[in-house]
Amino acid sequence: MADTVVRIDNLVKRYKDLIALDHLSLEIKEGEVFGLLGPNGSGKTTTINCLLSLLAFDKGTVEIFGKEMTPTSYDIKREIGIIMQNVAVFDELTVYDNIDYFCGLYITDKEERRRCVEEAIKFVGLEDFTKFYPKKLSGGLLRRLNIACGIAHKPKLIILDEPTVAVDPQSRNKILEGIEELNRQGATVIYTSHYMEEVEQICTRIAIMDKGHKVAEGTKAELKKMIKNTETITVEIPEPSEEVSREISELPHVYKTEYKDDRLTVWCSGGKHNLIRVLGVLQDHDMHIGRVYSELPTLNDVFLEITGKALRDKED
Amino acid sequence: MFLHNLKYELLAQLRVRMFIIWLLVFPIALGFFFKMAFSGIYEKQDVFSTVPAAVLTDNDDPQLKAVLEQLEKSEKPVLKVSYLSAEEAERQLKEETVEGIIRSENGVLKLTVAGEGMNETILKSFCDRYNSNAEIIKASAADPARIAAVSGILMQDISPVEDIRLSGGNTNYYDEYFYNLIAMVGLFGALIGLTITIENQANLSPLGARKNCSPTPKSVSLTASLVSRFIMQTAVMIVCVTFQQFVLGVDYGRNLPLVYLAAIFSGILGVSLGFMVGSLGRGSKDLKTSVTTAVVMLSCFLSGLMVGNMKSVIARYVPIVNEINPASVISDCFHCLNIYDDYSRFISKLIVMAVMTFIFSFIGFILTRRRRYASL
Repeated sequence: MADTVVRIDNLVKRYKDLIALDHLSLEIKEGEVFGLLGPNGSGKTTTINCLLSLLAFDKGTVEIFGKEMTPTSYDIKREIGIIMQNVAVFDELTVYDNIDYFCGLYITDKEERRRCVEEAIKFVGLEDFTKFYPKKLSGGLLRRLNIACGIAHKPKLIILDEPTVAVDPQSRNKILEGIEELNRQGATVIYTSHYMEEVEQICTRIAIMDKGHKVAEGTKAELKKMIKNTETITVEIPEPSEEVSREISELPHVYKTEYKDDRLTVWCSGGKHNLIRVLGVLQDHDMHIGRVYSELPTLNDVFLEITGKALRDKED
Repeated sequence: MFLHNLKYELLAQLRVRMFIIWLLVFPIALGFFFKMAFSGIYEKQDVFSTVPAAVLTDNDDPQLKAVLEQLEKSEKPVLKVSYLSAEEAERQLKEETVEGIIRSENGVLKLTVAGEGMNETILKSFCDRYNSNAEIIKASAADPARIAAVSGILMQDISPVEDIRLSGGNTNYYDEYFYNLIAMVGLFGALIGLTITIENQANLSPLGARKNCSPTPKSVSLTASLVSRFIMQTAVMIVCVTFQQFVLGVDYGRNLPLVYLAAIFSGILGVSLGFMVGSLGRGSKDLKTSVTTAVVMLSCFLSGLMVGNMKSVIARYVPIVNEINPASVISDCFHCLNIYDDYSRFISKLIVMAVMTFIFSFIGFILTRRRRYASL
């Protein structure tokens, strides 16, 4: 069984009357890509800041690599790579100098550091920009520099706090591929985001947070099993008669139907061939059928069902 | 680890345009304007000390001639005398080549001037004093017993004449403005000092957060930041004084090495002040920048760098403020250098600056290091 890399137990963080973290407990195993998913303000970044001992908390314990994390836990910090939500680099240093500076905070041997810096530059694809100053880089390249500064020293635990905010799709893909590669190379990754697609794509285990609470935790499959919905069918048709609607509602495994904007949506819970049965009813009544969609549940559905509201999946 | 931090802190500082502008371009430009504004005054100081005058040759007065020759031999002669005929003297007076015409009538000097002003006053003062002394000497010649008393009177007369220099004792008011400029540049180092806090505190910048997550002890990181700012500010102060001395032509004379020393101390004091002020409280980066700027401005105001007599007002009502106000201490240090030949006061001010630097830096360290934040 894999070792526990991070253990958070009963963490409570208050900002005056606001409870930012409410008895949060997490356990992250070695080799995982652990996703912290939740809308803005759900407590993801607060969790990371408490984990890194940047933020004082009111109650609970944080252990990393089996040791209590404190501001002076330098031996633990040496094994952590942090990629902040905001780009944290010197505007006055070149790409190479920035990576070398941050790498030098962890690695004192010059030759080893030089090798690490070059590997990090190659890893994030900034070979052609080593002499550029950050202000000359695009948003995506800047994010890549931010990542290179956090991973150059080859940490065992990498924490990425919303690293793809305001990043173009090409750079986003590059970043996500990079994270998967780092994980393949042996790093344990903690990844926070409010983009459910990203979390679904790269995370092996996910904790969903809302208002400082952990509302669900598990693998993608485990999370999806927690909810009633297993399939959502959408069919473009003219408004169906009451009889058609009733027949579809009475189909096996169908638990909810809705007609809106020329679309009939049918939610199913378990079973097979749900789509064929729905289309069969519509054909029996000679209804003109437009486009047809069948979707498996997403993490948004999980969040929606658990909290009663949708995850924000667009830019703020 | 320390040298690695120091190297990149220095590299980064060298490229901060805002500081280059405020700490190098601003004092250079201001010094240049000072020079332009005061150059007229400075030239006039030379004129004050040597007033061109015509002495008429019509009535030859050997005593007057002897006195004038002695005066012209002095280190800084008050008069530059031309012996002219009455016609030539009047012509030169009209052309303003000479400021006045001195005529000796039976041993009594008469003065003719074309206008009113400092030079005319000097000539008038000379003639009055000559006539007065001549009277005293005549009286003593009649009664030899009074010679000792007369000598005393003459000596008393001489002393104030020697002391009354228009630039006032050892003070060079012209240099004082440049000293004040150096003091202000030194204190503006507070803005550089503030960046130590901003770049090392997780609640003030992402850079601070990242540094706090690294295994580099905060004391090492802070020391490297502080030393880099000291070096930068020292370089700025050296450039500032060098520019004044060798480009603007401000003559600090034999005090030049001490001006450099005081400038460096004032710069370091400024940096440590900014470090301490930035470490106080939990305000945002913008708030801390505003507070630091306000503290520097208030300090300069109370020290008289902005309003001339403020320091004496403070000295009268709350003298302790002058003792603890960094700008007052810095300006006092330069003032001592300008006023006193004895360097003991200057050295004591340097020591005060060093102690203040240590205290400010120490407070900054204590407030900044090993901090876990209540909010980020």
